[in-house]
Amino acid sequence: MDLTFSERETAFRDELREWLAVNDPGPEPLHGFDPHFAWRRDFQRRLYAGGWAAPHWPREHGGRGATLTESAIFFEELGRARAPLPANVLGLLLGGPTLMVWGTEEQRDRFLGPILSAEEIWCQGFSEPQAGSDLAALKTRAVRDGDGWLVTGQKVWTSAAQYAKWCMVVARTDAEAEKHKGLTYFLMDMEQPEVQVRPLRQMTGESEFNELFIEGARIADENVIGGVGNGWKVALTTLMNERAGLGFFLQVRMRQLLDDLIDEAAARGLLDDDVIADALGALHVKTEVVRLTAYRGLAAVERYGQPGPEGSLTKWMWSDANQQLAQLATRVLGAEALVAGSRWGYELLRARGYSIEGGTTEILKNIVAERVLGLPRG
Amino acid sequence: MNFDLSDDQRTVKTTAREFLAARYPLSEVRRLALEDERGWTDDQWREMVELGWPEIAELGIVEMIVVAEELGYALAPTPLQSTWAAGALGADISASRGAVVFDGLAADAGTADEIVDWEGAVVTGAEVEPVRALDPTRRWFRVAGGSRSDGGSDVERGRGVAIVMNAAESVGVAARAMEMAVAYAKERKQFDRPIGSYQAVSHACAQMLLEVEGARSAVYWAAWALDHEPETAPLAIACAAAYAGDAGRRVPRAALQVHGGIGFSWEHDLHFFLKRGEANAHAYGDASGHRERIAALTGL
Repeated sequence: MDLTFSERETAFRDELREWLAVNDPGPEPLHGFDPHFAWRRDFQRRLYAGGWAAPHWPREHGGRGATLTESAIFFEELGRARAPLPANVLGLLLGGPTLMVWGTEEQRDRFLGPILSAEEIWCQGFSEPQAGSDLAALKTRAVRDGDGWLVTGQKVWTSAAQYAKWCMVVARTDAEAEKHKGLTYFLMDMEQPEVQVRPLRQMTGESEFNELFIEGARIADENVIGGVGNGWKVALTTLMNERAGLGFFLQVRMRQLLDDLIDEAAARGLLDDDVIADALGALHVKTEVVRLTAYRGLAAVERYGQPGPEGSLTKWMWSDANQQLAQLATRVLGAEALVAGSRWGYELLRARGYSIEGGTTEILKNIVAERVLGLPRG
Repeated sequence: MNFDLSDDQRTVKTTAREFLAARYPLSEVRRLALEDERGWTDDQWREMVELGWPEIAELGIVEMIVVAEELGYALAPTPLQSTWAAGALGADISASRGAVVFDGLAADAGTADEIVDWEGAVVTGAEVEPVRALDPTRRWFRVAGGSRSDGGSDVERGRGVAIVMNAAESVGVAARAMEMAVAYAKERKQFDRPIGSYQAVSHACAQMLLEVEGARSAVYWAAWALDHEPETAPLAIACAAAYAGDAGRRVPRAALQVHGGIGFSWEHDLHFFLKRGEANAHAYGDASGHRERIAALTGL
């Protein structure tokens, strides 16, 4: 057991810290999604120029061949520097790694470079109005049309779709096959009139996500990933990557949020209030436990070659703790936390999504119960 | 960074698991708890001495908590943990047993060769009266009067070792209670289905795993910090104690609920785990006390 960074890991961290110190991303634009996305895109271009866009990618594809721990350090440091996630996070974390497993050489040559440089933004077309947790129930269908495919259907909760060039779409290509078969994974060009993007207004009042209306969009045969009828397996590769690394960024962000709340409580003289101090202490413990369990998860991957249950556990712990934190802020700040447009008011509402997006807490519990504890399926 | 047991530490764990499984089947735990007045046998103590367990802290605190967790998992009635705690607080435990007085009470004081208090002072000539505790797997005593030496040196660290060792035991208690609940949920059928196929039950079991793994993460961190990073140890210890103390009682409670009526019966073994978890959550300070300490340490 060793909880210190090795020499190599420390060197990696120091080099990154130095880079971040001279490449300050600047203040986060607080109003409007377009300026915010532009800020993230600009930051990714700088990461790319510095060779930092995707440290976890192999060197041959423009990464640094970073280990899992180094990749965790990368995301922790971004969070610590209050830098944003790169604009093309879906391409960097999901799309690229999926192509590295399932893509052809031509596909990797064509797509990986523009993902890194943020020249082509990627989005993820998985969820549908009738297929959320039950992804394989999706209804979007693709039919043969000459040397390509015509896709029709509706996707929902698609972030960054309004900026995206490519969308990872899972569609049904064989209506007769079983539910998990007959699916195919495509890369769909977003720049065609058959794809309509409509912002989806969420309960915070903003539009982080979109709905996609796809009416006979054309996809060339060369943009099938992993073969026709193999879409479920390819989609699982994408989903397996969903929580990798990102967790460390989110955990640092939670830590900062907690520190800020402690400052707010101190400014109001509330640290002597036993109830508030106990609640802040409990959140401190939970925040540490998320970080520690995430690091144990990395060790498990290194030992066993595959992610253990920790990925599901840490996401669940994180969303729970973050919601409690946002809730506690209303006690610390009182009615001030309920002012529309205020930071804590935003957190209070935004945190409700954390236990839904990226796997609902209930689905995570099912995964833990069935795959880790071996309980029978309901 | 490698937040995992080393191969040697794994060997310690496997040895402990196998030895304790062989010597302390739950029937033996029950016999010692309910029928043996002293609560442990000479042979059992001698074998632990032969394994080098009383002095295991010399290998490292991580090694110690690995065994402590297994002792909790087996629910082995033994004065070993009291001896460790006393040794950490400065008692001379070479070839003997110790006990620690906290809040006027001390586990295993009746059979201890040396008793120390929470300040690390050696207690001599005290009145030691048995207390019938809710947890029958450990012998408790009220310790009053007598004289006390000057406090020990490095008491802070000694307390930390005792607290983390106790927290590690709670992780084992919780892990075993969870295993019992999961096994029962697979086998018990109602409405023609294993009850574990109902999400009300399976999600309760998933929650147990979250708490067991979370507690284990915090305890490993604290033990490692005691060995290698003394400056972060106080905070790590308080986090481990707060989280594992709660897990050690919450998980057996939930496991009992999964068992339904049988779990509430005297004949079932689950109540021993619930009682130990509850007792551990109060030994050396409770969770809210540890959170207060976190508040003080982080400048809250």
